[in-house]
Amino acid sequence: MKQCIQLLIFLLLSCITISCASRKSEPVKGKTFTAKNEAVKQGEQVFMKYCQKCHPAGEAGLGPALNANPAPAFIKRFQMRHGLGVMPGFTQDEISKEDLHHITDYLRALKQY
Amino acid sequence: MKRSSIHGGVFLLVLIVSVMFAGCYRMRASKGGGQINHTAERKINPKDILLTPGYSVEAIAEGLTFPTDITFDQDGTAYVIESGYAYGEVWTEPKLIRLDKTKTVIANGEKNGPWNGVTYYNGNFYVSEGGELEGGKILRISPEGKKIVLVDNLPSTGDHHTNQLIIQHDYIYFGQGTATNSGIVGRDNADFGWLKRNKDFHDIPCQDIKLTGQNYTSPNVLTEDENDEISTGAFVPFGKSTSAGEIIKGSLPCNGSIMRIPVEGGDVELVSWGLRNPFGLALAPDGRIYTTENAYDERGSRPVWGTGDVLWEVKQGQWYGWPDLSAGQLITNDEEFTSPSSKSVKPLLQVYPQNPPEPVAIFGVHASACGLAFSTRSSFGFEGDAFVAQFGDMAPDAGKVLSPVGFKIVKVNVSDGVIRDFAVNKGKRNGPASWLKKGGLERPVSVKFSPDGKSLYVVDFGILLMTKSGAKPIKNTGVIWKITKDGL
Repeated sequence: MKQCIQLLIFLLLSCITISCASRKSEPVKGKTFTAKNEAVKQGEQVFMKYCQKCHPAGEAGLGPALNANPAPAFIKRFQMRHGLGVMPGFTQDEISKEDLHHITDYLRALKQY
Repeated sequence: MKRSSIHGGVFLLVLIVSVMFAGCYRMRASKGGGQINHTAERKINPKDILLTPGYSVEAIAEGLTFPTDITFDQDGTAYVIESGYAYGEVWTEPKLIRLDKTKTVIANGEKNGPWNGVTYYNGNFYVSEGGELEGGKILRISPEGKKIVLVDNLPSTGDHHTNQLIIQHDYIYFGQGTATNSGIVGRDNADFGWLKRNKDFHDIPCQDIKLTGQNYTSPNVLTEDENDEISTGAFVPFGKSTSAGEIIKGSLPCNGSIMRIPVEGGDVELVSWGLRNPFGLALAPDGRIYTTENAYDERGSRPVWGTGDVLWEVKQGQWYGWPDLSAGQLITNDEEFTSPSSKSVKPLLQVYPQNPPEPVAIFGVHASACGLAFSTRSSFGFEGDAFVAQFGDMAPDAGKVLSPVGFKIVKVNVSDGVIRDFAVNKGKRNGPASWLKKGGLERPVSVKFSPDGKSLYVVDFGILLMTKSGAKPIKNTGVIWKITKDGL
C-alpha cells in the first residue's frame, strides 16, 4: 500500500510538472483554438460569463491559474458548485449541472489543443 | 488495506492537491504588474510580443510621455496625444503630435489633463480633455493648432475623467467617469490627490435618485487629528451624511455616463448612465456604439471585490447599474463581491432606475479594459470583432491580484462574448514588459485601425509602477506599435 501511495504521489507531481504551463492562449501556443463540438463551444461561453474575470484565459489573475490545475474534472465541478476559500460557489440557477460539464470539457480542450 | 480506504485516500490526496493549486488567497501577497522590485527599464523588442498566428508587430514610435490615443487625418497620417497627466499626480504638458520624423507638435494643452481621446473629423481634431484641475472639456483643434472649447466644466476633478470620444451623425459622444470608486467620497480620494484641493466634489447622478441612507465612517483626512472620524453618504461631499429616502437631484453634465454634444458645440445631452468609468468608445461596422467600463476597485469606504471590466453596447437612455450592480449583477450583500478584508457591500439606491442589459463581455478583474476598435476589413481579418487594449492592473492600490492582469490586446466576438488573446508578451507568465524584464507591451491604453483597415495601431502608455507611495509613471517610455497581417 505504501508503494501504491508513493507511486500515486509521484504520478500526481509528474502531472503537476507537465501541466504547469499555465498559458494556453492562441498567441502563446501559436495556433488557433477551435471548439471541436457544441459542448466545448457552450463551455467556453459559460466560462466567459462566470470564470474569465478571475481566471482570464484560464491563467492566474484575481484567482489562481486553472490551466495548471491537475485536479480531475469532478473536483473542479464540485468547487464551482460549492466554492473554495474566497471563490464563491455558483448555484444551479447560475450554472446548470450540464454547463458545469461543458466548462470542464472546455478547460480540457483548452489544455490539449 | 481495504479498497474503500484506498479510494478515500486517493480522494483526499486529490483534494489536497486541488486546494494547494487553488491556494489561499488571503495568505498570498499581491503580485500586480506594476509591483516590481528591480529597476524598471523600457526595452523595445517586437520579438517579445506573441500574436495570433499570421500577424506581425513593429514599433513605429517611442520615447513618448504618457500617450493615450491615436487618430489619422484624411491622408492617413497618424497623430497621437500625450495626456499631460498620469495617476501619481504627475503633470506634464498635453500635446497633439504628428507622427513624422521629428514628431511635430500640432498643439499644446493647459495643466488640465489627462487628454484621453482624439479623433479626426472633417478637417479638425477633436480632443477630450480629462480635466483633473478645471473640469473636463471637449476641444476642437485645427490642423494649425488653433483650439476651440466646445464644452467645459464636465465633472472630472475626481478619480476618473472625461474619457475617449467618437463622432457619429454630427454628434460627439464621450465617456465621463465617476468621481469615486463606488459612490462614497473617502480617504482613497485623498490618496488620489484631489480631495484636499476640491473638498466639495462628489458624484452627480444624471437623473433623480432615491438613497437608502447608507453612510460610511472614515478617518477625516481634512483635519490634522488622526483620530477624527467623519460620516459620508452617497452622491454628497465628504463628511455629509444622507438619510433613507433622500432624493438626490439629477443634472447634466453628470458622472458615470456617456453624453453627447453637437459637433459644432451646444448643450450636453444624456446618452446612457450608471457606468463607473466608461473609458473606451467605438463604432461597430453596423453603426452600434460600444464602451469599455472599468469596474469597481477594492478600495475606499465601500470596497467592492471581484468585479470584471465590462464591454457594453451603448443604448440610448439606458442605466447600467453603478453604484449597486456590476455587469448586470447586484453586488450588494453577495459574498461574490465582498472584499475578504471588509464587510458585505450595502445598497446605496432605494430604487433602481432600470434593469441593466446583458453585458457583451466581461474582462479580467482589474484588467483596465480601455480603448477599443472594431475590425472592418477582411484584409486584417476578424471582421466585426472588437479589439480591446488592456492597460493592466494597478494592484495593490486597486485591489490584490495573484498574478498580473491585462497588459495585452484581446479580441472579442461581440455576438457570443468570447474573449481571446490577440497580442501578449512572451514569458512563462503574463505581465508587462518591465515586470518580465523584456521588450514587449507595457500598458496598452488604446487601439485604432488605420483608415484602410489593414493595420492595428496600439498606443502603449509606458511604464507605470505601483509603489508603496502610490502610482509612479515614468516619462518618455510610451510606444506606438503597429500590427499587420502577414503577406499584405
